[in-house]
Amino acid sequence: MNWIVQNLWLVPVLPLLAAGISALAKRKSRTLAASLAIGSMAFSFLLSVWAFAHVLWLRSNGQATQQVFNFRWFQFGNDWLSLGWVLNPLTAVMLVMVTFVGMLIFIYSVGYMEHDENFTRFFCFLALFASAMLGVVIANSLLLLFMCWEIVGLTSYLLIGFWYEKPSAAAASKKAFITTRIGDLPFFLGIVWLYAQSGTLLFYNNGAGCLEHASINHLISQTTAIGFCAATGIAVLIFCGAIGKSGQFPLHVWLPDAMEGPTPVSALIHAATMVAAGVFLVARVYPLMSAHAGIATDLTTSTALQAVTWVGAITALFGAVIAVAQFDIKRILAYSTVSQLGYMMMGLGVGGVAVGMFHLITHAFFKSLLFLGAGSVIHGCSGEQDIRRMGGLRKLMPFTFATYTIGMLALCGFPFFFSGFWSKDEILHAAHSWNISQAPYYMGAFAALLTAFYMSRQMFYVFGGKSRLAESSEDHSHSPASADHAHHHGSSAPHESPLVMTVPLMLLAPFALLLGFLGTAAWPWFQSFLDDTQLTVNFGALLEGSMLPVMLSSSVIVLLGLGIGWWIFGRRPIKSAEAPDNLGRLSPPLFTFLGHAFYVDALYGATIITLNTQFSKISDWLDRWVWNGAVKTVTNIVLGLAHLDNFIDTHVVNSGFDEGCQSVSRSGQILSLLQAGRIQGYLKIVAGVLIVFTIILLWKAKI
Amino acid sequence: MNVINYGQLLQLIWPEIILTVTALLVVAIDLLFFRNSRVRVRFLVAATIGSAGCVAAIIKLLLASAQGSLLDGILLSNPLTHLVQIALLVITSVTLFLSVDSTFTAHVSEFVLLLLLATTGMMFLVGSQDLLVIFISLELLSLSVYILAGFDKRSVRSSEAALKYFLFGGMSAAFMLFGFSLLYGFSNSTSLTRIASAIHGQPLNPILIIAIVTTVIGFGFKIAAAPFHFWAPDVYQGAPLPSTAFIASGSKVASFFIFFQVLVLGFAGAEGSASLLHFQSGWIPVLVVVAVISMLLGNVVAIVQTSLRRLLAYSAIAHAGYMLLAFVAHTQQSLASLLYYVATYALATLGVLGVLAVTEKQLGNDTIHDLAGLSRRAPFLSLCLAIFVLSLAGIPPLSGFFAKFLLFSALLAAGPGSKLLLWLVIFAIGMSAVSLFYYLRILKRVYVADPPAEAGEIESSLLLRVIVGLLAGGVVVLGCAPDLILTQILNAIHASGF
Repeated sequence: MNWIVQNLWLVPVLPLLAAGISALAKRKSRTLAASLAIGSMAFSFLLSVWAFAHVLWLRSNGQATQQVFNFRWFQFGNDWLSLGWVLNPLTAVMLVMVTFVGMLIFIYSVGYMEHDENFTRFFCFLALFASAMLGVVIANSLLLLFMCWEIVGLTSYLLIGFWYEKPSAAAASKKAFITTRIGDLPFFLGIVWLYAQSGTLLFYNNGAGCLEHASINHLISQTTAIGFCAATGIAVLIFCGAIGKSGQFPLHVWLPDAMEGPTPVSALIHAATMVAAGVFLVARVYPLMSAHAGIATDLTTSTALQAVTWVGAITALFGAVIAVAQFDIKRILAYSTVSQLGYMMMGLGVGGVAVGMFHLITHAFFKSLLFLGAGSVIHGCSGEQDIRRMGGLRKLMPFTFATYTIGMLALCGFPFFFSGFWSKDEILHAAHSWNISQAPYYMGAFAALLTAFYMSRQMFYVFGGKSRLAESSEDHSHSPASADHAHHHGSSAPHESPLVMTVPLMLLAPFALLLGFLGTAAWPWFQSFLDDTQLTVNFGALLEGSMLPVMLSSSVIVLLGLGIGWWIFGRRPIKSAEAPDNLGRLSPPLFTFLGHAFYVDALYGATIITLNTQFSKISDWLDRWVWNGAVKTVTNIVLGLAHLDNFIDTHVVNSGFDEGCQSVSRSGQILSLLQAGRIQGYLKIVAGVLIVFTIILLWKAKI
Repeated sequence: MNVINYGQLLQLIWPEIILTVTALLVVAIDLLFFRNSRVRVRFLVAATIGSAGCVAAIIKLLLASAQGSLLDGILLSNPLTHLVQIALLVITSVTLFLSVDSTFTAHVSEFVLLLLLATTGMMFLVGSQDLLVIFISLELLSLSVYILAGFDKRSVRSSEAALKYFLFGGMSAAFMLFGFSLLYGFSNSTSLTRIASAIHGQPLNPILIIAIVTTVIGFGFKIAAAPFHFWAPDVYQGAPLPSTAFIASGSKVASFFIFFQVLVLGFAGAEGSASLLHFQSGWIPVLVVVAVISMLLGNVVAIVQTSLRRLLAYSAIAHAGYMLLAFVAHTQQSLASLLYYVATYALATLGVLGVLAVTEKQLGNDTIHDLAGLSRRAPFLSLCLAIFVLSLAGIPPLSGFFAKFLLFSALLAAGPGSKLLLWLVIFAIGMSAVSLFYYLRILKRVYVADPPAEAGEIESSLLLRVIVGLLAGGVVVLGCAPDLILTQILNAIHASGF
């Protein structure tokens, strides 16, 4: 077996080491922490490229592109629990993406977090996150994946709450942790069920893994009490984990709040990698997801995949609608992420692994570009996040503006030259030809229109017109970052960010442009790489069947969305930060409704959380008065016994000897006193024991 | 009459010879060259030489041939004895380094000499299956340890402890020797295997019963099982800290091992049964009673202790109770779990005493109360202390948990369906729950309580921190990967044909 396959574990372990070392380092060793994190990511990136090249090499030699390495961890009963890692095209693509984007964001963070006193801790968490995320990617065991998945959740919690002195950040981190945990519970149940059914959690293990034919067939043949097969049940449960992690409706509520974390965190964790882990999970267990009991043809879709599609489509539309009415630059991007994740899920549901994953990869690049751009804007505006108070940054921050525009056009899916166009088009095309329903296609198309609209709205607010920052300078916003930045820059005049921040932007921008060409219909390299099929160049495919109409209509949709955006926001520059939103004027109640994200949070607060609070109050009462009473009683009995025993031991048994010894040391007349002393009491017990034991044994031996 | 092969004798006792020579060397070098140096320097030199001797003995043991026996087990060597001897040597060198910072005596070389001689005694003890050698080496060990306990001549407590220890020890040695003599009279041999074959197949007679009870008393004293424990709290509290460490760890490991051998090999066929319906005289009923009393008394009395050292003593009594359960099962698996248990227990106890070595010096006493806020005054030591204490309490993933787990599962595996074993395990688990109370009280003091005002950071020497850190690392690693030594132990047990 090849060296890289055997040593793939190095990829996650290197950042883990970096995290470990910087966790032990002193707070002041900032350079050490940053260089360790970036260095380890760079090494991991090189290893990932090597792994990627290895897969390419295998492919070009016509060998199987999937290689696994399993090892035994520990034994319980007669079963061995095995873990392992798998190198296949899916792993390779994700590895390269995560390490590359991660490395750039690490570098960017050096600039962004420069003035933060907990710089070292930040890099420690970031490296830990990267390690866990890479662990998720390479895991060949659902258990290993779940463990890394939980660490990812933990680091997300730690990083959202990084500025923990800010109550909103602390609350957001708790919300993120608990909400994703709600999804993880069914996920874990799914794992347990899967283990009970198939006896293994390894994905691939020479035919014995849980994603391989024998196991899948077995799962399909098992029927549950409510009618569908075990495979569907397990797949839906696992998908619940993905819903939580990837911010799908109805567990999306944590993701916008997660923007309380530092912006590089938003870019890395809550846009490019962690939230995509849910999509990746579905892609990883795709054989299970697509298993269905009917006649196995490509035309039927399994129940699980239908669920994935509908959840994805609803989320895509839902996120886009809400994003229209937000004012926080990062919250807009957050809802956009929710919406795009919905697209990916939908892509997985209607088109397969390659379709969803292609959008995941392109999205990772352009969304992290957008987030880093937003971070640069926030940095330049001294921590301001409200787009109403920005404006006119086109001239002041030229690099940021240029790269942000590229990212924005890629996100909108601007025709032909932007990666988002090709990946989104794939999804819409697959949705168009879906055999169950056309509704997801129309939902997706409408979401695309809204995407173009809200992004142009954001662009005009942030970069167009004149700067509105000065008029609100006395009303300083609340984040510690803002105080920090303002403090260090002295003036609040917007300014371009330092090179350490803009260079990663410029490095990401080409990818946002060019990645799309890896997966066009004419030359579907990416798709054939992931699905391991023959690659054919066929320019005719662009014009075939439904491809052309879909492409044209989505182009029109994008242009329409941008046009409406220009019509409402771009025609006349926005004059004042206090002026009501141009769109809001059309229908204020509706706009407020959207601005509050359909009041989903309030709904949850009024229903589930209230119920939970009541329940915890009851539990608390039971705990205090019923259970604790019982425990207290037992405790007091034991304590009483203890005092009694101690009393006997020290006063009855020991006191004689202690007295004797004290006088011994006082007078020195050791022997005489001991002779007359109380050692008997002490040894009498031993003699007594001897007699008791002997009598019992003799009596029972019946001699 | 067999003829002794002196070449073989030499081969077998090489490690012991190395240790004895090292002990003499330490005295010579210390008295010749370092008489006028500071105590710390003298301790450092003596400990280094002593440890070098231990390491040399370990190397010799690793290289020694796997099997060897002289005259029916008067001296023997097999993988199992090697393993236990190596553990003893490691413990001794840790103890040596723990003593480097102590100031209780100026007689450095004598102290180290006694420690090494006690170790030699333990090595012989472990490597023999003959009553006579067992008794003599036990006496070598005991006599050295009595002096070690009283080594702090200026302290009244130390003298008191030593005297108590000595008197009690002498008495139990007398009991044991009486038992041994009965055994000899009964079987005409001092070899454990021959005694066993003499016992085998015969009904229990009164002589044997008395021999059983006196043997249990003799060893019960060494392992501090109740009700032979009275010396323990005073000795733990009064003896100089390195002596306590040695008594609590090395001496325990050796005594448990040889006690198991004597009972299981020597009294094979006289096990008896302790279940109420099929009660049968033998050593198992005796041990069941001793184990239950030890667990109950040790855990319960530990709750009200205010001195950390006394608390350790009572917790040692409780742990002795758990470990005695392995005797009740007396299978290969239970021996393995016993060895794992006693080794990891020794590590954790050494660790707690190592931390105490620092705090006692700085705070002036060992009350739990004075540990308040230690986590802020010495974060690293507190972390290590937490690891040791939690391991003693049996919290996963530390080695203490795994030791208990192994022990209990060995017990259940030994007699599937046996109500007695099941109830013993349930009782032991209940008692460990009780023990959590006093262990956590220590940690509460360390982590939750506020340090006294104007309390500064607690200074500790680098050497001590390294040792304590290594011990903590050992506790964690052995807990996470118990296979590291468990497979060694199991292999050794199989290879030794126990």
